[in-house]
Amino acid sequence: MSSPVLQAVAVKKHYRLAKHEIPVLRGIDLSVQAGETVALLGASGAGKSTLLHVLGLLDPPTAGEVHFDGQRVDNLTIGQRAALRHRHVGFVFQFYHLIPELTALQNVLLARMMTTSVWQFWRQRKQAKAAATALLEQVGLGDRLRHRPSELSGGERQRVAIARALLAEPKVVLADEPTGNLDSTTARGVVDLIFEIQRQRGLAFLLVTHDERLAQRCHRIVRMQDGVVVS
Amino acid sequence: MIAAFSPFLALRYLLTRRINLLGVFGVMFAVWAIVLVDSVFTGFVGQIRDDVRSSATDLMLTDLPHDTSYLALRTALVTDEDVVATAPRLRHHGMLQPLRRGRQDNRYQTSSQVDFDHTVNGFATMLGIEPAEEEAVSGLRQWLVRGPEELTRLYTSDFWPSPVFDERAPERKARMLLPNDAEWTARRRAGMPTEADSSRHRSDWPGVVLGWQRVRRMRWFEPAEAFDLLCASFQGGEVNATLHTHSTRVAFAGCFATGHRTFDETMVLMPITTLRSMLGQDAKDPSSIDIVTDVAVRVRAGLSSAQLANCKRRLQALAQAVLRPGSAPCLVADWEEQNQVFLSAVAHEQGMMQFVLFVVMLVAAFVIYATLHMMVVQKVRDIGILAAIGGSPRGIGAVFLLGGLTVAVVGTLLGVGTGVLSALALNDVNDWLHAQTGLELFPRRLFDLREVPCRLAPSWIATVAIGAVVLALVVAFIPSRKAARMHPVEALSHE
Repeated sequence: MSSPVLQAVAVKKHYRLAKHEIPVLRGIDLSVQAGETVALLGASGAGKSTLLHVLGLLDPPTAGEVHFDGQRVDNLTIGQRAALRHRHVGFVFQFYHLIPELTALQNVLLARMMTTSVWQFWRQRKQAKAAATALLEQVGLGDRLRHRPSELSGGERQRVAIARALLAEPKVVLADEPTGNLDSTTARGVVDLIFEIQRQRGLAFLLVTHDERLAQRCHRIVRMQDGVVVS
Repeated sequence: MIAAFSPFLALRYLLTRRINLLGVFGVMFAVWAIVLVDSVFTGFVGQIRDDVRSSATDLMLTDLPHDTSYLALRTALVTDEDVVATAPRLRHHGMLQPLRRGRQDNRYQTSSQVDFDHTVNGFATMLGIEPAEEEAVSGLRQWLVRGPEELTRLYTSDFWPSPVFDERAPERKARMLLPNDAEWTARRRAGMPTEADSSRHRSDWPGVVLGWQRVRRMRWFEPAEAFDLLCASFQGGEVNATLHTHSTRVAFAGCFATGHRTFDETMVLMPITTLRSMLGQDAKDPSSIDIVTDVAVRVRAGLSSAQLANCKRRLQALAQAVLRPGSAPCLVADWEEQNQVFLSAVAHEQGMMQFVLFVVMLVAAFVIYATLHMMVVQKVRDIGILAAIGGSPRGIGAVFLLGGLTVAVVGTLLGVGTGVLSALALNDVNDWLHAQTGLELFPRRLFDLREVPCRLAPSWIATVAIGAVVLALVVAFIPSRKAARMHPVEALSHE
């Protein structure tokens, strides 16, 4: 662990509901070091997912700053934020969020297509396909490449989502309750996979979870309540 | 730059959603209809213009005062270097009064009633011509060939060509007299007094050539059928003018066809001397003048539009100088100006048809919009996913824009292909359908057409194709913009 790869500085986030401002994040300071695993724990409504979205540049903060590798990034343009997200941030969601029309392999490959032109992708399609296949084999889906999400179990879908998050070789992976929609046995397998990959690649992992046991496996636990970090 | 995921996903979405076929078929149908209908209309309009052109002369000097002398005009006009020939024309409204066969004695008897059931047969525009000069300025010879052809095609039996213009004696040709034996036979057939021997008979009835449409309606097929021509005119001074009616007996001397339906249906060609006599300008009267209402002019071939315009100005000035001082200005009109109202009406019809077809295209574009909008609504969560894994708003919007573009391009290609094939096979299909069911998609007889005129214009087809694609892109832009502007977090949490 060294310098923070991802940092929130006095981040606030308000949502407007009719004429009312609803504060969700009330000044969050948080740092995630390279190669560090951090668990965000808290009750529903504590602001965990909102913080994850702000740190992942999906949602700009109302106030405060977000830094990536020491650079302020919350003030970038939408296009620049998208490019940064693609290159350095991987997302894993509770509900997998796969494209139903695509096979497992295509869902993973999609991550490679985000910032490359048609011509560039055509030229490197074989390498991209090989990388995606290797990742799917690594998550145990080598024999399910051509299956669509509807033909996969919940655990398998989450593995595809993990493979997709890793294809662009990000520095940090943001996981929003990655086991929240899985049974305990499947969840254990997915969690083992996440930590194995984290160790192998030295990634920074920020996990939003309700699961205390999962949180205990992380280097650090950050507890949130009513939009603030309490410990 | 378009990110690779945009066309990839666009294609996936299209292939997995059959409802997009609606858009493809909508565009295809619209383009097919535009290509086919417009090619028929273009062919139809082209045919009409050709026919109108064949019935008109290069230039027509018209709007002349009622007492205009042709000789003076001709002398002036032929001094112009671009004028090749001129011919006098005298137009007057009149009526054909058939001599019907009596029921009792099978002899001709004059009808005392206008045949209102066949008004078009009875009323006519009498066009007095000087045959020798007319041949030099118009397509008279071709009209006389085409007339019998039309009747032969209609009745599948040969129809006789008019002999009056082959007459060698200038005086007989000027009066368009039929051969002596033909008139003698007609007289005998009608029971009229005549010489016992045909060789002693001399034709006397001025010949009249009718449009083939009129011949068909009147069912006059024998040469030298006699009938009366009637007209009315005001004679005397301008203050004390009195209405006079005139009648003269003439003989059916052949039929003509220019292809210009209005001309063929309304015009009756007759000797200009006969018409002048009817209007009180008998050539035997020393005080009579060779009146004309128009002068047909043939100009040098190959004149450019600018040269023709200059020629018209010069001729107008030459003619005006000959006319009585203070006369209203005469007009020199080219063939399009001579038929301006008719040609404008046809062009307007084509414009209206194109507008209707454009509305069909709009409907197809609306179908594309509806299907794409529905797709965006159904794919909100996908839009969130794409944003989360690094898709730019522009790339996300491009997914749907390219979807619309693909639908438009495929639909347009299919539409152009089927449209061109349909146009090429139109006459065969029309014939086959008529043979099988008795139905005709395009009733050719209604327009006196030998075949359905069909003219494929590559530039128009390209315009339609580009227009269809551009229109589809415009409507696809709306849902694609909506997708591009969607908030990623809201999209991800969409149920």
